Amino acid sequence: MLRRPRKPRKSASSNVQDHSLDQALEQTQDKLLGKELAQTEHFFTNLLGINNDFVIRRFHVFGRHPAVMCYYANMVDQALINKDILKPFMYVPSHLEGKDFGLEQLPEVLLNDAIYHSACKLERSIEALVNAILQGNTIVIVDGLEEAFLIDTRNIDKRSIDTPATEQVIRGPREGFIELLGTNISLLRYRLQTSDLRIRTMEIGRRTKSKVAVCYMEGITNPDLVAEVDKRLSKIDIDAVLDSGYLEQFIEDNHYSPFPQVQYMERPDKVAANLLEGRVAIMVDGSPMALVVPTVFNQFYQTVEDFTERFLLMSALRLARLIALMFSLVFPSLYVAIISFNPELIPTEFAVAVAGGRAGVPFPAIIEVLVIEISMEVLREATIRLPQQVGGALSIVGVLVVGQAAVSAGFASPITVVIIALTTIGSFATPAYNAALALRLLRFPLIIMAGIFGLYGVMIGLIVIANHILSLKSFGVPYMSPLVPGNFEGMKDTVIRAPFTWMRKRPSFLFPQDRTRLSSQTANDQAASKGSPLNPLKFKEERKDTEE
Amino acid sequence: MKDERQITAIQSAAILVSTIIGVGVLALPLFAVRAGESGAPLVTVVSVLLAFVGLAVISLLGMRFPNKSITQYSEDIIGKWPGRIGSALIIAYFAVLSALTAREFGEVVITSVLTRTPLEVTVIVMLLLAALATRNSVTTFAYIHHFYFPLLLFPALLIVALSLKNAEGLNLQPMWGNVSWVRPEMVEGILTITALFQGSFIMTTVIPAMRRPEKALTASAWAMLIAGGLYVTIVAATVGVFGSEEIKNLLWPTLELAKGTSLPANVLERLDAAFLAVWVTAVFTTLFSSYFFTIKEASKLFRLGDHKMFSFFLLPAVYVMAMLPRSILHMYEIIENFGRIGLIFTIAYPLMLWLIALVRRKRGSQ
Repeated sequence: MLRRPRKPRKSASSNVQDHSLDQALEQTQDKLLGKELAQTEHFFTNLLGINNDFVIRRFHVFGRHPAVMCYYANMVDQALINKDILKPFMYVPSHLEGKDFGLEQLPEVLLNDAIYHSACKLERSIEALVNAILQGNTIVIVDGLEEAFLIDTRNIDKRSIDTPATEQVIRGPREGFIELLGTNISLLRYRLQTSDLRIRTMEIGRRTKSKVAVCYMEGITNPDLVAEVDKRLSKIDIDAVLDSGYLEQFIEDNHYSPFPQVQYMERPDKVAANLLEGRVAIMVDGSPMALVVPTVFNQFYQTVEDFTERFLLMSALRLARLIALMFSLVFPSLYVAIISFNPELIPTEFAVAVAGGRAGVPFPAIIEVLVIEISMEVLREATIRLPQQVGGALSIVGVLVVGQAAVSAGFASPITVVIIALTTIGSFATPAYNAALALRLLRFPLIIMAGIFGLYGVMIGLIVIANHILSLKSFGVPYMSPLVPGNFEGMKDTVIRAPFTWMRKRPSFLFPQDRTRLSSQTANDQAASKGSPLNPLKFKEERKDTEE
Repeated sequence: MKDERQITAIQSAAILVSTIIGVGVLALPLFAVRAGESGAPLVTVVSVLLAFVGLAVISLLGMRFPNKSITQYSEDIIGKWPGRIGSALIIAYFAVLSALTAREFGEVVITSVLTRTPLEVTVIVMLLLAALATRNSVTTFAYIHHFYFPLLLFPALLIVALSLKNAEGLNLQPMWGNVSWVRPEMVEGILTITALFQGSFIMTTVIPAMRRPEKALTASAWAMLIAGGLYVTIVAATVGVFGSEEIKNLLWPTLELAKGTSLPANVLERLDAAFLAVWVTAVFTTLFSSYFFTIKEASKLFRLGDHKMFSFFLLPAVYVMAMLPRSILHMYEIIENFGRIGLIFTIAYPLMLWLIALVRRKRGSQ
């Protein structure tokens, strides 16, 4: 007797959890359309009619059968509805003129002979019909029929395809993803015109019902990886997915790590390249950022240009980026450690100059650096929030004027300002914003460690960070791959970017099914001598011949 | 939890090298010179050979029992309780070794760079660093060593290379040293230096996680060649720069070597603080290995699936042991004596196990 009252409560609570519908649809679950048009119309008016943009249009099919058309006025293509739906519904097709149709023949005739719109189908479930209206489709209900016509008329205003704001290149494609999933998929398909590109869609989000597309290359991507991505995505039960960033936080391996374990990208060409390496991309309707897993550390200082521009120059630039990345992490803390604990390390003349610059500054080096660093962070946040028209002006005022004033006011030494400026510029040189953010954050504990323990503290801090990075995994791939665990094939694309002929294999840490990227034939042909059809010597002789 | 078998031969060699190279390097030339004067490099070579015998025995045992570490196969070889007692002693010994490493480096830091920082703080920081890292799996353990391995060889070789311009070849002659090779100091010195290599005992924990345990001996040989070669080079460079009589007055001759050198173009005027900073990694890897050995084997001894519990549980005990020596001199006395006694556990005991295993034809499952 004691047990019984608990049972229904339990099932009730699990019921609430299971709901993936909104309140209004709760009663209609599993309900089917009735034959009575008035009743159905009444139901839809009750459910959606309170919204001003909901349109119910009554008309007669072929001038005889009363029917009703419903849609949301702002989400549909009005011209399409007039021309391709209303007209064929109202007029009997010319080749069938004069014939008489019964009610039972109507769906057949309409579907097969009258409507010339490809995405049109019959639907019985009320839930599906309501969802279709919410998505921007149109339904037509005919009196006496148990099925309604569901026609795809969705037309959402979208911005044009634009240069990606976060990943600018000098050489390379200039298209970036936009918010609409369909457009993004088309951008991707356009670059990978192969039947091996697989795109699986699912819906995540109880209220938003956001379409999520999982893209991978059949025959390259490891199937276990795809299965794991599907598994992690299907476990998400959340009310809203408004951006791919929501999903990232559910599928990443370590939530407490400052380092991003999922890479996001705005460029379709970059996503295509990653898919071809054997990764999986996840796109969400409404987000211009695709997620790519698994992610390893060395992706964060690579750019698209590394591969579009020639290898020698880009290897050098990549090295510069790597140095900038290290700088943005350790530079201020090294400065604090050397100034406060080991000034004997730096050359005497320089040490004297530093001491001269710091003569009027009342604070210890750590306070000085922390204050300037924090004001720099504030300035950086401010420039993002400011309207574009004044943003540029403010950054100049902030950096030049405030920096100069801080020095002459005796608030900071000139060298501190130089150090902080270099650090900030260094963190902007990191292509991946989320990785730069992590290093930006970790700089502060390092500065504090440097202020307490000097160089010893900096090293302790770096060891803790390195140990953490080494213990990280993204979908089972060690974060420092291919450096640790060592993989020679992969190392050709870490510190330097080797020429394509050296990198004939796909990165092995992703365990792709097909490992060959470049055929050995091409590599050999490259090595073989190339013809020189415009050799001047040849033409000289030819000219001689003609002159003679 | 099933143990993963992912460690490659190169990684295990890296583990051994970075484990062996540690805080001992700082005092190494002093031990060598005390034993053999100008014959110090040769003394080091003899010690390397002796240490390799110990490591080879451990590797051979590991290859004989590829799925087990010493705590497990010692029970198979000499019986349940004798094996357990032996393992408990080894685990305790490595706990002490961790404590002494932390203490020694703590002393170095407060003597040379952070003179106003209390010793307790530097010791605790080092121990916490190691304890935090030991909460990872054995694969991550290998990754960490693999990552630090080049960072550790490079500064040492740089210091040696830069110091060569101050070196005097005459200081290294006569090669045999001016002393008799059978006096007790010589034997003590050789054993002390051999004891600096006993971190390599970690091999017994690594082998069960190796992808191909049959490569353990090759990895050990390479590791000994690299670490031993570096040790001999450092001793030779130090003796070449300072001469054997001068070294006897120095507590940490290798650190003095770093002090005497400067980078070309005067980028950094002195290198000792920078060297010491980089050397934190070397000490960390050594401490990490010995502490990891302690807790991993302790968890195996107590038949626990997970070693993470011990990493902070044992920390207070190790800390107390680290603070027991009264002064630097007392600490070095303990280190030397303890190191020599430790050779019983790290060379004699495995040798005995191996011989008994041979006689009793005991062999682990493949």
